[in-house]
Amino acid sequence: MKLGAEHLDDLALGSVFLATGGGGDPHVPKLLTREVLKKCGPVELLPPADLPDDAFVAAIGNVGAPTVSLELLPSDDEALIALEAFEQQMGRKLDAVVSFEIGGGNSLIPIMAAASRGIPVVDGDGMGRALPEAQMMTYAIRGIPSTPALACDYASNVTLFTTKGTDVYERHIRALAMSSGGMITTVEHGMTGATVRDAIIPGTVSFAMQLGTFLRENRGQATSLFDPLKALFEESIYGECRLIHTGKVVDKSTRIVGGFDVGNTVVESFEPGIAPVEIDIKNEYLLARRGDQVLASVPDLIVIVDFETSEPINAERLRYGQRIAIFAIGCPDFYRTGDALKVVSPRNFGFDLDYVPLEALPN
Amino acid sequence: MRIGIDVGGTHTDAVIMDGNTVLTSTKVLTSADVMEGVANALDTVLSASGIPVSAIQSVMIGTTQFTNAIIERRQLAETGVFRLNLPSGRGLPPMVDWPDDIADAVGRHAYTLHGGKLYDGWPVADLDADEIDRAIADAAAKGLKNFAISSAFSPMDPSPEEFVERKLRAAIPDAQITCSHRFGRLGLMERENAAILNATLLHFADTVVSAFLTALQTRNLSCPVFISQNDGTLMSADFVRAFPALTFASGPTNSLRGAMLLTGVEDAIVVDIGGTTSDIGVLQGGFPRESNSVIEVGGVRTNFRMPDIQAIGLGGGSLVSDDGETIGPQSVGHRLTEEGLIFGGSTLTATDIVVAGGYQTIGDPSAVASLSPKMVATARQNMLTILDRGIEMMKPGAVQMPVILVGGGSVLVTGDLAAAQEVHRPEHAGVANAIGAAIAQVGGESEKIISYQTLPREDAISTLTREAEEKALGAGAARESLRTVDIEETEVPYMGQDTMRVRVKVIGDLATQAAGA
Repeated sequence: MKLGAEHLDDLALGSVFLATGGGGDPHVPKLLTREVLKKCGPVELLPPADLPDDAFVAAIGNVGAPTVSLELLPSDDEALIALEAFEQQMGRKLDAVVSFEIGGGNSLIPIMAAASRGIPVVDGDGMGRALPEAQMMTYAIRGIPSTPALACDYASNVTLFTTKGTDVYERHIRALAMSSGGMITTVEHGMTGATVRDAIIPGTVSFAMQLGTFLRENRGQATSLFDPLKALFEESIYGECRLIHTGKVVDKSTRIVGGFDVGNTVVESFEPGIAPVEIDIKNEYLLARRGDQVLASVPDLIVIVDFETSEPINAERLRYGQRIAIFAIGCPDFYRTGDALKVVSPRNFGFDLDYVPLEALPN
Repeated sequence: MRIGIDVGGTHTDAVIMDGNTVLTSTKVLTSADVMEGVANALDTVLSASGIPVSAIQSVMIGTTQFTNAIIERRQLAETGVFRLNLPSGRGLPPMVDWPDDIADAVGRHAYTLHGGKLYDGWPVADLDADEIDRAIADAAAKGLKNFAISSAFSPMDPSPEEFVERKLRAAIPDAQITCSHRFGRLGLMERENAAILNATLLHFADTVVSAFLTALQTRNLSCPVFISQNDGTLMSADFVRAFPALTFASGPTNSLRGAMLLTGVEDAIVVDIGGTTSDIGVLQGGFPRESNSVIEVGGVRTNFRMPDIQAIGLGGGSLVSDDGETIGPQSVGHRLTEEGLIFGGSTLTATDIVVAGGYQTIGDPSAVASLSPKMVATARQNMLTILDRGIEMMKPGAVQMPVILVGGGSVLVTGDLAAAQEVHRPEHAGVANAIGAAIAQVGGESEKIISYQTLPREDAISTLTREAEEKALGAGAARESLRTVDIEETEVPYMGQDTMRVRVKVIGDLATQAAGA
């Protein structure tokens, strides 16, 4: 299908939901993408199955602390500068681009880049949600080298990375992001069409649009939206969907630590007698607990929405006094495999607990 | 005793209150000259009650003049916008996502300059004094007097904004300037938008505040005068001259608070029916439920905290189609008393329908006697359905809630509403806004730069909360009514790890003064 300016609102809304708190606020990327789409025309959204085996594809997106993007505004040519530097380094033009993560602003950056260059964007992403680090991407888990990679910062400084592994790459881009105001755009994971098909979480761009349309058309209280939302997820690659808590934010504290937004939030229940829920944050909402009881954990999705409108709220926009609902949603099967859980289990985020799939947790 | 005044677009209402009791109220037309409307309203309540001017301890004014100016794009001064964030944000100049009509009204005078800070205090770029001077010279040549200044991460480090402010004042001595860091939290575009909307209103704010004060002076009222702001607390009249944007949500806030006082009901849906729209809000524990979304004012995204209000297109002046199937959103508005059938006009309005149905006796009922009873019944049912649907959208969950009807258009609803547990129609419902203004609260704020290494976060917040409470008590708040409404933390660079600027805001009711005191 052709993806045009008219699809951006629903795509942004759905992908903020899937971003589980991270991915960056989509408002500004949406403004920039809309202008580029108006100027350059709509972009082909290519199903992974339609990619030629030998097509040359790379992943593109922003790396950094989402809070920063509230103040350090992106530029309309930043993605293109990184993309052209990548092509020059590789000595080859890209046939398509693909998203790191279907989350907030990062679902729009590839579209802006693809439109600027007149190439397709692949329908899918490397996370099926948003996650904070590069080695957590399906592309990396499948063993695709992340470098050579090119990064561009707010002042159009361009940096080349050639590292020995994704773990090192992650540390290096994070260091660059921190010294570049907290946010950079990178082009990485150059791969063939056949490899993309093997590694990608397919169909997430079109699912995010479908979800966005659903949220727009069913705008209303989280409790009344829950049943149809559950049905929508049960028919998707995600599966289980639960409404785990409703209440008011009574504490929210995040800091920029090591290039991430790190902290937590406490949500008191609307219902008397129900203990508050605490959520740990590292860019994304990672772990939801009521007392000692785990309600949901990474890599399953924890989503905070405005109680009244069910509009998803990014971690950087969450604040004291807001009335919210918390959903927990199963992650795509890929992230429940042994290889994936080596890098995305709660232990990888410093929590002393093993991953238990949402369905196996008490409801 | 206190006087509460609500200066709306159509009507100016006034009440005299003794504690929480309404002694007298009035509703007069807001004249083109705001001062005259306020003076008329004062004359009416003072003479009707016979209360001497000397018994009035304070006057509280709520006004939608500034909101209306933004929404109607009038009284807006052309405004120069200086933003310091280059080389970031290329392709995203100030006002880029504004509706065209308001961007045109404010005049697209945007100067995007090098400067601003990164999260760690490092400059995005060094300030370029020549570039700034050139921009100021250009603005001066255009004759601009109103300015908004924004800079990346200014809540953390306002010095780039202050540098430009000083240069502007030196070059244009009568400049009126709003710096974005005065509007708090992170979010450059929304904070900048708030600053621009504020700056463009500064001349009008001067006119309106002067008109208020003159009206009071001519009536020999020399007591303190306050104006209510978004969160239902009071500010001084002079403060409003500098920050008119802080009144944007005071209308709905006052109407919700007034409805609470009139009924004593603390959890309810409040429907404020005016001439053109019905504003539906929710009271929770006696306070307006706040919106979580980014708040748009006149189509412009801002960072204000405001009540969650659903406006639907049904009011006393709403146009009704000949078959009764379509009601609103077009309306004759304040011209209802000239254009409605019962007032001798020729337009079929929602008010004509309730009179034709025999539910109200207003104007000349014989003017609507020939309307088809079937059409009248259809139209009335459609009006109730519109309201029920709006109320359903705002209800928290499936629970039934009471509904409080206020506003001049509340005559449209007689009998029950399907969506309501019960319907309250309090006396003085037509002047709920003025009552809300009169019972407005007082706030206390405490802000400090604190290292969490020396004072742990929990202790820091409780210390600041106590200080804010002391300030609110000093301003006259009743201790048992105090509550924390906002806690903001912003990291401060340069000053060692874990150093934060922490701000706590606490508000409470004015301690009730003894009757006659």
